[in-house]
Amino acid sequence: MTLRTYIVSRILLTIPMIFILLTTVFLIMRVLPGDPVLLHFEKMENPALIAEMRIRLGLDKPLPVQYVDYLIGLFRGDLGKSMQDYSSVGQQVFSAFPATLELAIFSMAIAVLIGVLLGVESSKAYNSPKDHLIRVFGIVTYAIPVFFLGMILQMIFGVGLHWLPIGGRTYQTMVPTGLNIGSLHFSTGLYTVDSLLEGNIVKFGTSLKYLFLPSLTLGLALCGIFVRLTRSNMFETLRLDFVTAAKARGLKDSTVTYSYALRNAFLPVLTMMGLQFALLLGGAVLTETTFSWPGLGRYLIDRINFRDYTAIQGVVVVFGLFVSLVSLGIDLLYAYLDPRIRL
Amino acid sequence: MFAVTKMNLNDAKAIGKVAIAGVLIVVVIIAGVVGYYFYQTQNPPLKDRLIMGTTDSVESCLDPARAYDFFGFEIIQSLGSPLVEYKAGSTGSVDDIIPALATSWEVSADGLTWTFNLRQGVMFASEREFTANDVKYTFDRGIGIADPDGAFVGVGVGDIIDSVTVVSKYVVKFQLKIPFAAFLSLMAFQACYIVDPEYAPMAGSSWSIDDVVLYEDGNSRGSNPMGLGPYNLKSWTRVAGKDTEMTLEANPLYWNSVGGYPKTKNITINFYADSSGLALAMTAGDIDVAFRQLSTTDITAMKSNHDLKVWEGTGAFIQYLCMQQKNAPFNNAKIRQAVAAAIDRSSLVDTVFQGQAEKLYSMIPLGMFGHTEAFESLGDPNYTRTRELLAELGYNENNKLTFTLWYETSGHYPQSPQQALVLKSSLEESGVISVNLESRDWAAYRTARQEEIMQAYILGWYPDYIDPDDYIFPFVHSSGGSWIHHNYANPEMDKLIEWARGNTTSTARQSLYAQIQDLMVQDTAIIPLYQGGAYAVSKTNVDGIYLDITQNWRHWLVYAIQ
Repeated sequence: MTLRTYIVSRILLTIPMIFILLTTVFLIMRVLPGDPVLLHFEKMENPALIAEMRIRLGLDKPLPVQYVDYLIGLFRGDLGKSMQDYSSVGQQVFSAFPATLELAIFSMAIAVLIGVLLGVESSKAYNSPKDHLIRVFGIVTYAIPVFFLGMILQMIFGVGLHWLPIGGRTYQTMVPTGLNIGSLHFSTGLYTVDSLLEGNIVKFGTSLKYLFLPSLTLGLALCGIFVRLTRSNMFETLRLDFVTAAKARGLKDSTVTYSYALRNAFLPVLTMMGLQFALLLGGAVLTETTFSWPGLGRYLIDRINFRDYTAIQGVVVVFGLFVSLVSLGIDLLYAYLDPRIRL
Repeated sequence: MFAVTKMNLNDAKAIGKVAIAGVLIVVVIIAGVVGYYFYQTQNPPLKDRLIMGTTDSVESCLDPARAYDFFGFEIIQSLGSPLVEYKAGSTGSVDDIIPALATSWEVSADGLTWTFNLRQGVMFASEREFTANDVKYTFDRGIGIADPDGAFVGVGVGDIIDSVTVVSKYVVKFQLKIPFAAFLSLMAFQACYIVDPEYAPMAGSSWSIDDVVLYEDGNSRGSNPMGLGPYNLKSWTRVAGKDTEMTLEANPLYWNSVGGYPKTKNITINFYADSSGLALAMTAGDIDVAFRQLSTTDITAMKSNHDLKVWEGTGAFIQYLCMQQKNAPFNNAKIRQAVAAAIDRSSLVDTVFQGQAEKLYSMIPLGMFGHTEAFESLGDPNYTRTRELLAELGYNENNKLTFTLWYETSGHYPQSPQQALVLKSSLEESGVISVNLESRDWAAYRTARQEEIMQAYILGWYPDYIDPDDYIFPFVHSSGGSWIHHNYANPEMDKLIEWARGNTTSTARQSLYAQIQDLMVQDTAIIPLYQGGAYAVSKTNVDGIYLDITQNWRHWLVYAIQ
């Protein structure tokens, strides 16, 4: 199988995956007790108005018709209108998605950085107190609830030291505008990137300041698995012949560890990064609440409470696409690094 | 020697003059310093900007035709003005209603016609003069749009007001469909704040739900139809239907700016996802004021923090226990009375709310005109009475009255699971009642209420207009209370409520509400549980916070000393 065939087949596999995911969510939401129409009528009930609202939300139609309508809209790129505030779900989802994406990228970077570095150190100091300490750290960060860890960090860096903000993404005057050249305007929604595009280092610093605690929280919560994985893989790799040969050639210890051994031991870590992205999005829901981070996770929770079917479906589609894309990217990278995968 | 002495005398005179001048200068300086000190103490320089923190968010929009949430109303009343308003610190009495855009008013003998004389020379922020046409426009619009999500439909404004007529440029007349004693309170309600027609136009040939003014990213002026209030909306950012930051700026054209309002020229509002985030921000000093919703634990902790000031006021939020009266066992008033007698409100208030709530013995809250302690007569708790009442119906220790108590779990009401546990324990303490607990998230709970499958269930109420009618009519009137689905109906009760609604004499209304509350105890149609407290926390240099039963958060009165 060539790399191109592999890419095409992976993309084609993504379509039924999203379709199954969407169908499942569509059905589950409608089976769950709770009616989005009734939630518009907390303090009064007028049967005529309730019937009118049901028509307005498209819930008067038979279920298969609702499903087909939704799919047709989806193929047109329309995620529908919110059943709670009638806003465009597409607009809402894409206004919140950059915040979640930025948090996910930084968290994953922190998780991998801490996880791999500690995993390497742990494997090199196998069975020593340092190794035990790192293993305990990995287990504790993996086991500790993410909101609790977030609150501890808020107490230390926000309330105690006053170094970092408690919550939010930035403040009004510090929202970066992105690249502006004449009438050309381009922004990604990622504040760190947009502030650099704008060339405003103060805004970049402010964005990082707000991003640091939530990313660290989520990164720490995820790093445990990378510590353990890197440790076990490095432990085996460091004992292989090519590492001994490299050492025998008189190469520096750090070169042998990071350029030779880690390159080989990194492949399973890469796979795990793909799998952890889905978990990371789940963790982001709690982190976003703890740090008042205006992302997609908070939006999802909010909409579940309102039984906002269209909004929930919209978020799930975007989450599904995102995880699929990341997974595809990781697989392609893997295929590139290890040609055996295409055989 | 002589010459020297003479010179010395001259010198002495000169020195004396200098000394006197020096003393005078010192006295003047001291007087100046002291005067300045007293001036500063009496008129300290105020901060130009306040930062507020909240866990609330505008639920839908800032259009009075649709907005129907606490925070939306809080902002509407900062951006707009009503015909009349409650004075700060009000107990909700009609005597506390003071002129706002209307300077005086009169009601016809039959209670069906209200005429308001309007303040002259009032300008919208858009620099257009406010007239009677704007009042008519506002009410025609709200009633015409008839948004099911909005308070015009929720309260039934269209069922009360028949028409609004412009008598002259500064006189407007309301013709009512029914005599409605709480009409002035209704006029002070945020849904009745005057809109600027320029920012609330009609798109088609008649009013429709699509005419509601919605949030528009990057356009705060176009995102609200107000314009007669103490503030203008300088900026408003929302991401995925939740506010992230809002700034208010003093409206230089505010009709009451001559009174020195607003005291703080700029207000920034920061939004937090949960109460712990808000509490941490307050403790860290990131914000000047935290209002809604701090947890009871956080408030208790903050009371002992010397860097913070905890503001405590009367809350208007109440919670109550409903019973499904179409089926056994609650189709029997004696059983409902037995349950009411076995409720230990002290335990509820002290255990669940750490004393930050009040025991409630009437649906009309404490501190409101017409309140009586009617339900106290059943006991608090009086287990002997519970046992006696149930014994008459054959229930005892071996044959307990068993029912299921439902509560919601998504934070729609404060600490519902804890409330349910305390109620279960309190009821079972009688020895003759056994309670099973069942829970749902709010959406499922709401459906269960409509399906009438819950035997006993806890609900809560934030008032609309501040009047006993808003705590009685929607609960125990056969038509007004149909949304609760507890199937209570008593023609005598309906008659009393309708009389109280239509009677504009305070004494007569007081007497009618006393009768209504007595009848509520007799029927035990619904059991009041507690009245929530109102709490805000601020830095110690903040003042001007009023937490009264009207629930109005008056941004324009709050200030901080520099």
